Amino acid sequence: MSLARRKFLQLLGLLGGPTLFLLVFFFGPLLIMVVYSFLTPGLYGGVDWIFSHLNYGRILGWADTRYEKFDPVFLSIFGRSLRLAALTVITSLLISYPAAFWISRMTPGRRDFAIFLVTLPFFVSLIVRLFAWVLILRPTGFLNQGLMGVGLTAQPIEFLYTDFAVILGMTYVFIPFMFLPLYGSIEKLDIAQIEASADLGATRFQTFRKVVLPATMPGIIGGAIITFIPALGNFIVPSVLGGAKVLMIGNLIEQQFLSARNWPFGSALAMLVMTAVLVLLVVQLRLARHGEH
Amino acid sequence: MPAHLEIIGARKAFRTPEGGTMTALDGISLKLASAEFLTLLGPSGCGKTTLLRTISGFETLDDGDIVIDGVAVTQMPAHKRPVNTVFQRYALFNHMSVARNVGYALEIAGKSKREITARVGEMLELVGLSGMGKRSVSQLSGGQQQRVALARALAGKPKLLLLDEPLSALDKNLRQKMQQELKSIQRELGIGFVFVTHDQEEALTMSDRIAVLAHGRIQQIDAPSVLYQRPANLFTADFLGESNLLPVTLDGMSAHLADGQSFEVARPSGKATLLLRPEALAVTPPAGPSLSFSGRITQTYYSGKDHQIALDTGQLGPLTALIRTGGTPPEIGATVTLHAPAHGLHLIDETAA
Repeated sequence: MSLARRKFLQLLGLLGGPTLFLLVFFFGPLLIMVVYSFLTPGLYGGVDWIFSHLNYGRILGWADTRYEKFDPVFLSIFGRSLRLAALTVITSLLISYPAAFWISRMTPGRRDFAIFLVTLPFFVSLIVRLFAWVLILRPTGFLNQGLMGVGLTAQPIEFLYTDFAVILGMTYVFIPFMFLPLYGSIEKLDIAQIEASADLGATRFQTFRKVVLPATMPGIIGGAIITFIPALGNFIVPSVLGGAKVLMIGNLIEQQFLSARNWPFGSALAMLVMTAVLVLLVVQLRLARHGEH
Repeated sequence: MPAHLEIIGARKAFRTPEGGTMTALDGISLKLASAEFLTLLGPSGCGKTTLLRTISGFETLDDGDIVIDGVAVTQMPAHKRPVNTVFQRYALFNHMSVARNVGYALEIAGKSKREITARVGEMLELVGLSGMGKRSVSQLSGGQQQRVALARALAGKPKLLLLDEPLSALDKNLRQKMQQELKSIQRELGIGFVFVTHDQEEALTMSDRIAVLAHGRIQQIDAPSVLYQRPANLFTADFLGESNLLPVTLDGMSAHLADGQSFEVARPSGKATLLLRPEALAVTPPAGPSLSFSGRITQTYYSGKDHQIALDTGQLGPLTALIRTGGTPPEIGATVTLHAPAHGLHLIDETAA
């Protein structure tokens, strides 16, 4: 047996299994979703194997049959999801950036403890943590009682089931996703570069704009993307803190699969989310490549 | 002519993590003439880097003043001071090209594009990196990064350049080349350089004057040759170069070694220490009066141009000598007599701390 052939067989033996696994269990379900999104919903759930483009037509505007009609509400829910996910990214960035800076300058012992604290919420069930927020935000919750107690408001403020509650909840859930990549790039930043910038005449603001921000941009972009993607498709936070008033695309997809039993339509909605994410990733790759030159 | 840089009674203490205090600068005063190359030399922890950082403005003094060209800058923030620094590990901006690094001070100062381009070209030529402006910093070798750091610090025409052990990361050959280049650039520009190093050889070759620091104090500040030949105290004598320090007793007319040898010296009676540099000892006796030391060779080190030998003299303890290689190399265990001329010897007073 030639050496090249033996190497090939070795590689095949090592990588063949995992590759096959990924093909079957990663691309397989995805493929099923793509196919389903072009089928007709079955009467009692499942699908009928009849081609249909109306699932997309209902979302994007060309469906006009008796049962399958275009409704702009789907696009507006999608728009709201984009908006809430973007706002979540911004608020988590605004909180994580100074925190990462602060923690990266701590002594090693404290630093490890602080990072542990950041990841601590992962150890508690998401549902439990979100219901804790319900207790805080509801009209008779801690926040409103506190505000009324000090006389800032006479009536309880509607915090729960608003955009605010959803953004707050998603920020709370996704801050570690934003924090960790940010921390990675901020920790690498050489403090001597900041001193060098000051030494060469730059004010603190100029140093931030010209040295700190560009040097930590990979972390910002990385954090923004891995926060934005799960935030966009999230359905647990809006269903607990947003209720029926603040529906996100994730809730809609969940309803299609679990309550409405319209799998093809749910698949089409999921494709919409996936397309948005792919577009975003392509734009990011382009930007990153542009930044290198 | 007024001093270019003047430091008056600088004091600085740091709090240690254990809760104590560490005095980094314990009352340092010095003056630097314009166009002077001053080196701050000392062991690590002697305060040399702290002193440099107080001049650049990264540390503030607890007490004392820093005056540059007649202007007190003690309270001035770093970005307003007319000094620039070459950092130990260069601290180049990785996300910028070489040219943008070099032009950074001018960009900050709001100079026009044309002016910046011209000055950057000039600076790159000065440090021998012409045409490399478009490269990314990470594509450069250590020596080239060093040059970029130098060009960046000089581009804004500082009144004073501070260099914090800038050559310590380079290999020996490159370091020697950069030493010469730094020196010639300093002469060409005619601005003051304050250079921090723990490498005494580097300090001796480059400096107009060297300030030897230890325990937050200036032990001695002098020209390299004076510092080497006539150290003011035991610390400087010991720290700078190899030295044999022999205690002597003075009787007003001559000095007596412990083994009974003596030489004439006009000094008041008391105790002192005789400094004998290893290269002052030779196998052949000099003309005129001399001191001689006999002993057994305990170690030899070959350095290329000479042999360094360790001699056990018995009564006077161990001695180190540099012997020119010519004839047979010295052998461990052999007995040898070495001589030093008995005039022009340097004595360090016992009182000198």
